Amino acid sequence: MTGSLRLDALLAAGVEYVAGVPCSYLKKLFAGCEQLPASAFLPAVREDHAVAACAGAWLGGRLPLAAMQNSGLGYCLEVLTSLHLMYRVPLPMVISDRGDEQDFEEHRVLGQRARALFDLFAIPWREAVAGNEAEEASWLVATALERSGPAVLLVGKAVDS
Amino acid sequence: MTRGEAVSHALSLVAEEDIVVAADGAIAREAFRAHDRPRTFYMLGSMGQVLSIALGLAMTRLERVVALDGDGNVLMGFGSLAMVGGLKPTNLYHLVLDNGCYATTGGQPALSRRVDLAAAALGAGFAWARRCVSSEHGHMGLEAWLAAPSPASLTLMVDVADPAPAPRIPLTPEELRTRFRDALLRH
Repeated sequence: MTGSLRLDALLAAGVEYVAGVPCSYLKKLFAGCEQLPASAFLPAVREDHAVAACAGAWLGGRLPLAAMQNSGLGYCLEVLTSLHLMYRVPLPMVISDRGDEQDFEEHRVLGQRARALFDLFAIPWREAVAGNEAEEASWLVATALERSGPAVLLVGKAVDS
Repeated sequence: MTRGEAVSHALSLVAEEDIVVAADGAIAREAFRAHDRPRTFYMLGSMGQVLSIALGLAMTRLERVVALDGDGNVLMGFGSLAMVGGLKPTNLYHLVLDNGCYATTGGQPALSRRVDLAAAALGAGFAWARRCVSSEHGHMGLEAWLAAPSPASLTLMVDVADPAPAPRIPLTPEELRTRFRDALLRH
Protein backbone atom coordinates (compact mmCIF):
# COMPACT_ATOMS: atom_id res chain seq x y z
CA MET A 1 0.00 0.00 0.00
CA THR A 2 1.49 3.30 -1.10
CA GLY A 3 -0.99 5.71 0.51
CA SER A 4 -2.39 6.63 -2.93
CA LEU A 5 -5.68 4.94 -3.80
CA ARG A 6 -5.12 5.49 -7.51
CA LEU A 7 -1.55 4.17 -7.48
CA ASP A 8 -2.58 1.16 -5.40
CA ALA A 9 -5.34 0.43 -7.93
CA LEU A 10 -2.88 0.72 -10.82
CA LEU A 11 -0.40 -1.60 -9.08
CA ALA A 12 -3.22 -4.07 -8.48
CA ALA A 13 -4.06 -3.83 -12.20
CA GLY A 14 -0.52 -4.88 -13.07
CA VAL A 15 1.61 -1.72 -13.21
CA GLU A 16 5.21 -2.50 -12.15
CA TYR A 17 7.14 0.66 -13.06
CA VAL A 18 6.31 4.37 -12.99
CA ALA A 19 8.09 7.28 -14.67
CA GLY A 20 6.80 10.80 -14.61
CA VAL A 21 6.99 14.50 -13.88
CA PRO A 22 4.71 15.78 -11.08
CA CYS A 23 1.58 17.91 -11.32
CA SER A 24 -0.22 19.49 -8.37
CA TYR A 25 -3.36 17.64 -9.54
CA LEU A 26 -1.46 14.36 -9.02
CA LYS A 27 0.09 15.08 -5.62
CA LYS A 28 -1.25 11.95 -3.97
CA LEU A 29 -0.20 9.69 -6.82
CA PHE A 30 3.34 11.10 -6.81
CA ALA A 31 3.55 10.85 -3.01
CA GLY A 32 2.67 7.18 -3.45
CA CYS A 33 5.39 6.76 -6.08
CA GLU A 34 7.99 7.76 -3.49
CA GLN A 35 7.03 4.65 -1.53
CA LEU A 36 7.93 2.38 -4.45
CA PRO A 37 11.28 0.54 -4.61
CA ALA A 38 14.04 2.64 -6.22
CA SER A 39 14.03 0.45 -9.33
CA ALA A 40 10.29 0.97 -9.86
CA PHE A 41 10.06 4.77 -9.93
CA LEU A 42 11.87 7.20 -12.22
CA PRO A 43 11.45 10.87 -11.27
CA ALA A 44 11.99 12.03 -14.84
CA VAL A 45 13.31 15.50 -15.72
CA ARG A 46 10.96 15.92 -18.69
CA GLU A 47 7.92 14.06 -19.93
CA ASP A 48 9.46 12.78 -23.18
CA HIS A 49 12.19 11.07 -21.17
CA ALA A 50 9.55 9.55 -18.88
CA VAL A 51 7.64 7.92 -21.73
CA ALA A 52 10.90 6.76 -23.39
CA ALA A 53 12.02 5.14 -20.12
CA CYS A 54 8.58 3.47 -19.90
CA ALA A 55 9.21 1.96 -23.34
CA GLY A 56 12.54 0.62 -22.05
CA ALA A 57 10.82 -0.88 -19.00
CA TRP A 58 8.17 -2.57 -21.17
CA LEU A 59 10.83 -3.95 -23.52
CA GLY A 60 12.54 -5.29 -20.39
CA GLY A 61 9.38 -7.10 -19.28
CA ARG A 62 7.66 -4.75 -16.85
CA LEU A 63 4.32 -3.01 -17.31
CA PRO A 64 4.98 0.73 -17.06
CA LEU A 65 2.91 3.79 -16.20
CA ALA A 66 3.70 7.36 -17.29
CA ALA A 67 2.33 10.13 -15.09
CA MET A 68 2.43 13.84 -15.94
CA GLN A 69 0.74 17.20 -16.33
CA ASN A 70 -0.96 17.71 -19.69
CA SER A 71 1.51 20.52 -20.45
CA GLY A 72 4.09 17.76 -21.02
CA LEU A 73 2.19 16.30 -23.96
CA GLY A 74 3.98 18.44 -26.50
CA TYR A 75 7.32 17.09 -25.39
CA CYS A 76 5.96 13.55 -25.59
CA LEU A 77 4.49 13.70 -29.06
CA GLU A 78 7.63 12.74 -30.98
CA VAL A 79 8.29 9.76 -28.69
CA LEU A 80 4.67 8.61 -28.63
CA THR A 81 4.50 8.72 -32.44
CA SER A 82 7.91 7.35 -33.44
CA LEU A 83 8.37 4.92 -30.55
CA HIS A 84 5.12 3.79 -28.91
CA LEU A 85 2.77 4.08 -31.89
CA MET A 86 5.35 3.01 -34.49
CA TYR A 87 6.78 0.01 -32.59
CA ARG A 88 3.42 -0.73 -30.91
CA VAL A 89 4.54 -0.41 -27.28
CA PRO A 90 1.82 -0.45 -24.58
CA LEU A 91 1.78 2.65 -22.37
CA PRO A 92 -0.82 3.37 -19.69
CA MET A 93 -0.74 7.12 -18.95
CA VAL A 94 -2.21 9.15 -16.10
CA ILE A 95 -2.37 12.78 -17.18
CA SER A 96 -3.72 15.74 -15.26
CA ASP A 97 -6.66 17.57 -16.82
CA ARG A 98 -5.52 21.18 -16.60
CA GLY A 99 -6.72 24.19 -18.49
CA ASP A 100 -10.37 25.00 -17.85
CA GLU A 101 -11.42 28.64 -17.60
CA GLN A 102 -10.84 28.67 -13.83
CA ASP A 103 -7.27 27.40 -14.26
CA PHE A 104 -4.23 29.60 -14.83
CA GLU A 105 -3.69 31.01 -18.34
CA GLU A 106 -0.54 28.97 -18.99
CA HIS A 107 -2.53 25.73 -18.84
CA ARG A 108 -5.34 26.67 -21.20
CA VAL A 109 -3.98 26.59 -24.76
CA LEU A 110 -2.72 23.01 -24.68
CA GLY A 111 -5.02 21.79 -21.91
CA GLN A 112 -8.20 22.65 -23.81
CA ARG A 113 -6.90 20.80 -26.90
CA ALA A 114 -5.47 17.71 -25.21
CA ARG A 115 -8.54 15.58 -26.00
CA ALA A 116 -8.41 16.63 -29.66
CA LEU A 117 -4.72 15.70 -29.70
CA PHE A 118 -5.46 12.20 -28.38
CA ASP A 119 -8.24 11.81 -30.93
CA LEU A 120 -5.94 12.96 -33.75
CA PHE A 121 -3.52 10.13 -32.98
CA ALA A 122 -6.30 7.63 -32.12
CA ILE A 123 -5.10 7.37 -28.51
CA PRO A 124 -7.99 6.15 -26.30
CA TRP A 125 -8.79 8.35 -23.30
CA ARG A 126 -11.35 8.74 -20.56
CA GLU A 127 -11.91 10.97 -17.57
CA ALA A 128 -11.43 9.78 -13.99
CA VAL A 129 -14.36 10.16 -11.60
CA ALA A 130 -14.24 10.11 -7.81
CA GLY A 131 -14.20 6.72 -6.13
CA ASN A 132 -13.75 4.69 -9.32
CA GLU A 133 -10.01 3.99 -9.09
CA ALA A 134 -10.09 0.21 -9.46
CA GLU A 135 -12.31 0.14 -12.54
CA GLU A 136 -10.39 2.99 -14.18
CA ALA A 137 -7.04 1.29 -13.51
CA SER A 138 -8.31 -1.95 -15.06
CA TRP A 139 -9.59 -0.06 -18.10
CA LEU A 140 -6.33 1.85 -18.53
CA VAL A 141 -4.09 -1.22 -18.35
CA ALA A 142 -6.38 -3.43 -20.46
CA THR A 143 -6.77 -0.75 -23.14
CA ALA A 144 -3.02 -0.05 -23.42
CA LEU A 145 -2.30 -3.79 -23.68
CA GLU A 146 -5.12 -4.50 -26.14
CA ARG A 147 -4.13 -1.61 -28.38
CA SER A 148 -0.39 -2.16 -27.85
CA GLY A 149 -0.04 1.60 -27.56
CA PRO A 150 -0.73 4.57 -25.33
CA ALA A 151 -3.98 4.92 -23.40
CA VAL A 152 -4.85 7.90 -21.21
CA LEU A 153 -6.70 8.46 -17.97
CA LEU A 154 -7.35 12.18 -17.47
CA VAL A 155 -7.37 13.22 -13.82
CA GLY A 156 -9.02 16.48 -12.80
CA LYS A 157 -8.29 18.53 -9.71
CA ALA A 158 -11.07 17.02 -7.62
CA VAL A 159 -10.21 13.35 -8.25
CA ASP A 160 -6.60 13.17 -7.04
CA SER A 161 -6.55 10.16 -4.77
CA MET B 1 38.42 6.04 -36.31
CA THR B 2 35.30 5.66 -38.42
CA ARG B 3 31.89 5.24 -36.88
CA GLY B 4 31.80 1.70 -38.25
CA GLU B 5 35.13 0.79 -36.59
CA ALA B 6 33.95 2.21 -33.28
CA VAL B 7 30.63 0.32 -33.40
CA SER B 8 32.35 -2.92 -34.44
CA HIS B 9 34.90 -2.69 -31.67
CA ALA B 10 32.25 -1.85 -29.05
CA LEU B 11 30.03 -4.75 -30.12
CA SER B 12 33.02 -7.14 -30.07
CA LEU B 13 33.43 -6.32 -26.36
CA VAL B 14 29.75 -6.83 -25.52
CA ALA B 15 28.89 -10.11 -23.80
CA GLU B 16 26.18 -12.34 -25.24
CA GLU B 17 23.73 -11.55 -22.43
CA ASP B 18 24.33 -7.79 -22.53
CA ILE B 19 21.46 -5.59 -23.70
CA VAL B 20 22.28 -2.97 -26.33
CA VAL B 21 20.27 0.11 -27.36
CA ALA B 22 21.46 1.61 -30.66
CA ALA B 23 20.65 5.22 -31.49
CA ASP B 24 18.43 6.14 -34.40
CA GLY B 25 19.98 6.69 -37.80
CA ALA B 26 23.46 5.67 -38.87
CA ILE B 27 24.45 4.15 -35.50
CA ALA B 28 21.59 1.63 -35.50
CA ARG B 29 22.23 0.75 -39.14
CA GLU B 30 25.95 0.33 -38.43
CA ALA B 31 25.23 -1.86 -35.39
CA PHE B 32 22.89 -4.04 -37.45
CA ARG B 33 25.52 -4.50 -40.17
CA ALA B 34 28.47 -5.01 -37.82
CA HIS B 35 26.85 -7.55 -35.49
CA ASP B 36 23.11 -8.04 -35.55
CA ARG B 37 21.87 -9.70 -32.36
CA PRO B 38 18.35 -10.14 -30.94
CA ARG B 39 19.37 -8.46 -27.67
CA THR B 40 20.01 -5.15 -29.47
CA PHE B 41 17.16 -2.65 -29.68
CA TYR B 42 17.43 -0.61 -32.87
CA MET B 43 15.92 2.85 -32.65
CA LEU B 44 14.51 4.23 -35.90
CA GLY B 45 13.21 7.54 -34.58
CA SER B 46 12.73 9.39 -31.28
CA MET B 47 16.09 11.15 -31.42
CA GLY B 48 17.46 12.14 -28.02
CA GLN B 49 15.88 9.21 -26.14
CA VAL B 50 18.67 6.62 -26.26
CA LEU B 51 19.71 7.07 -22.63
CA SER B 52 16.11 7.24 -21.40
CA ILE B 53 15.21 3.94 -23.07
CA ALA B 54 18.46 2.43 -21.76
CA LEU B 55 17.68 3.69 -18.26
CA GLY B 56 14.21 2.12 -18.33
CA LEU B 57 15.87 -1.16 -19.32
CA ALA B 58 18.65 -0.84 -16.73
CA MET B 59 16.12 -0.27 -13.93
CA THR B 60 14.14 -3.29 -15.08
CA ARG B 61 16.86 -5.80 -15.90
CA LEU B 62 19.86 -7.26 -14.10
CA GLU B 63 22.02 -7.57 -17.23
CA ARG B 64 24.41 -4.85 -18.34
CA VAL B 65 22.77 -2.30 -20.65
CA VAL B 66 24.98 -0.69 -23.29
CA ALA B 67 23.72 2.48 -25.00
CA LEU B 68 25.29 3.34 -28.37
CA ASP B 69 24.62 7.05 -28.66
CA GLY B 70 25.52 9.97 -30.92
CA ASP B 71 26.59 13.51 -30.07
CA GLY B 72 23.47 15.10 -31.57
CA ASN B 73 21.33 12.68 -29.62
CA VAL B 74 23.07 13.51 -26.33
CA LEU B 75 22.70 17.24 -26.95
CA MET B 76 18.99 16.83 -27.69
CA GLY B 77 18.34 14.63 -24.66
CA PHE B 78 20.76 16.42 -22.33
CA GLY B 79 18.43 16.08 -19.35
CA SER B 80 18.64 12.30 -19.52
CA LEU B 81 22.28 12.59 -18.38
CA ALA B 82 20.87 13.97 -15.12
CA MET B 83 18.44 11.08 -14.75
CA VAL B 84 21.23 8.51 -15.17
CA GLY B 85 23.70 10.48 -13.02
CA GLY B 86 21.06 11.02 -10.37
CA LEU B 87 19.76 7.46 -10.19
CA LYS B 88 23.17 5.83 -10.69
CA PRO B 89 22.10 2.44 -12.05
CA THR B 90 24.82 -0.17 -11.53
CA ASN B 91 24.47 -1.69 -15.01
CA LEU B 92 24.44 1.18 -17.54
CA TYR B 93 27.26 1.86 -20.02
CA HIS B 94 27.00 4.82 -22.38
CA LEU B 95 29.08 5.23 -25.54
CA VAL B 96 28.90 8.51 -27.47
CA LEU B 97 30.17 8.49 -31.05
CA ASP B 98 31.01 12.14 -31.55
CA ASN B 99 31.54 13.34 -35.13
CA GLY B 100 30.78 16.96 -34.26
CA CYS B 101 27.94 17.24 -36.72
CA TYR B 102 24.49 16.12 -37.81
CA ALA B 103 25.83 13.64 -40.36
CA THR B 104 22.57 12.11 -41.57
CA THR B 105 21.01 15.48 -42.38
CA GLY B 106 23.94 16.83 -44.37
CA GLY B 107 26.80 17.35 -41.93
CA GLN B 108 25.60 20.56 -40.29
CA PRO B 109 27.95 21.43 -37.38
CA ALA B 110 26.77 20.46 -33.89
CA LEU B 111 27.59 22.21 -30.61
CA SER B 112 29.41 19.07 -29.46
CA ARG B 113 32.42 20.77 -31.08
CA ARG B 114 32.31 23.22 -28.19
CA VAL B 115 30.71 21.13 -25.43
CA ASP B 116 32.65 18.37 -23.64
CA LEU B 117 30.05 15.61 -23.34
CA ALA B 118 32.22 13.49 -21.02
CA ALA B 119 32.59 16.42 -18.62
CA ALA B 120 28.82 16.90 -18.80
CA ALA B 121 28.26 13.24 -17.85
CA LEU B 122 30.67 13.55 -14.91
CA GLY B 123 28.98 16.75 -13.80
CA ALA B 124 25.61 15.00 -13.95
CA GLY B 125 26.87 12.29 -11.59
CA PHE B 126 28.19 9.47 -13.76
CA ALA B 127 30.73 7.33 -11.87
CA TRP B 128 33.18 7.36 -14.79
CA ALA B 129 33.58 9.34 -18.01
CA ARG B 130 36.35 9.78 -20.58
CA ARG B 131 36.76 11.51 -23.91
CA CYS B 132 39.12 10.01 -26.47
CA VAL B 133 40.29 12.07 -29.40
CA SER B 134 42.72 9.77 -31.25
CA SER B 135 41.95 6.41 -32.79
CA GLU B 136 44.57 4.66 -30.65
CA HIS B 137 43.21 6.10 -27.44
CA GLY B 138 39.71 5.37 -28.61
CA HIS B 139 40.34 1.64 -28.85
CA MET B 140 42.06 1.63 -25.43
CA GLY B 141 39.21 3.72 -24.07
CA LEU B 142 36.62 1.18 -25.19
CA GLU B 143 38.36 -1.56 -23.20
CA ALA B 144 38.59 0.64 -20.08
CA TRP B 145 34.98 1.81 -20.41
CA LEU B 146 33.32 -1.57 -20.03
CA ALA B 147 35.57 -2.38 -17.04
CA ALA B 148 34.72 0.93 -15.32
CA PRO B 149 32.14 1.45 -12.56
CA SER B 150 28.57 2.20 -13.72
CA PRO B 151 27.20 4.53 -14.89
CA ALA B 152 30.09 5.08 -17.30
CA SER B 153 30.13 7.32 -20.36
CA LEU B 154 32.80 7.18 -23.05
CA THR B 155 32.93 9.82 -25.77
CA LEU B 156 34.87 8.77 -28.86
CA MET B 157 35.72 11.29 -31.53
CA VAL B 158 34.94 9.61 -34.87
CA ASP B 159 35.43 10.68 -38.49
CA VAL B 160 32.80 12.78 -40.20
CA ALA B 161 33.44 10.86 -43.43
CA ASP B 162 31.57 7.58 -43.80
CA PRO B 163 33.13 5.79 -46.79
CA ALA B 164 30.62 2.91 -46.82
CA PRO B 165 27.31 3.87 -45.16
CA ALA B 166 25.29 0.96 -43.80
CA PRO B 167 21.91 0.29 -45.46
CA ARG B 168 18.56 0.61 -43.72
CA ILE B 169 17.54 -2.21 -41.39
CA PRO B 170 15.31 -4.64 -43.31
CA LEU B 171 12.89 -5.32 -40.42
CA THR B 172 9.73 -3.48 -39.43
CA PRO B 173 9.61 -1.63 -36.09
CA GLU B 174 7.15 -4.20 -34.76
CA GLU B 175 9.43 -7.08 -35.80
CA LEU B 176 12.39 -5.36 -34.14
CA ARG B 177 10.60 -4.81 -30.84
CA THR B 178 9.09 -8.30 -30.73
CA ARG B 179 12.40 -10.00 -31.46
CA PHE B 180 14.20 -7.88 -28.83
CA ARG B 181 11.60 -8.30 -26.08
CA ASP B 182 11.20 -12.04 -26.71
CA ALA B 183 14.98 -12.50 -26.46
CA LEU B 184 15.05 -10.68 -23.10
CA LEU B 185 12.03 -12.45 -21.64
CA ARG B 186 13.39 -15.90 -22.49
CA HIS B 187 16.06 -15.39 -19.81
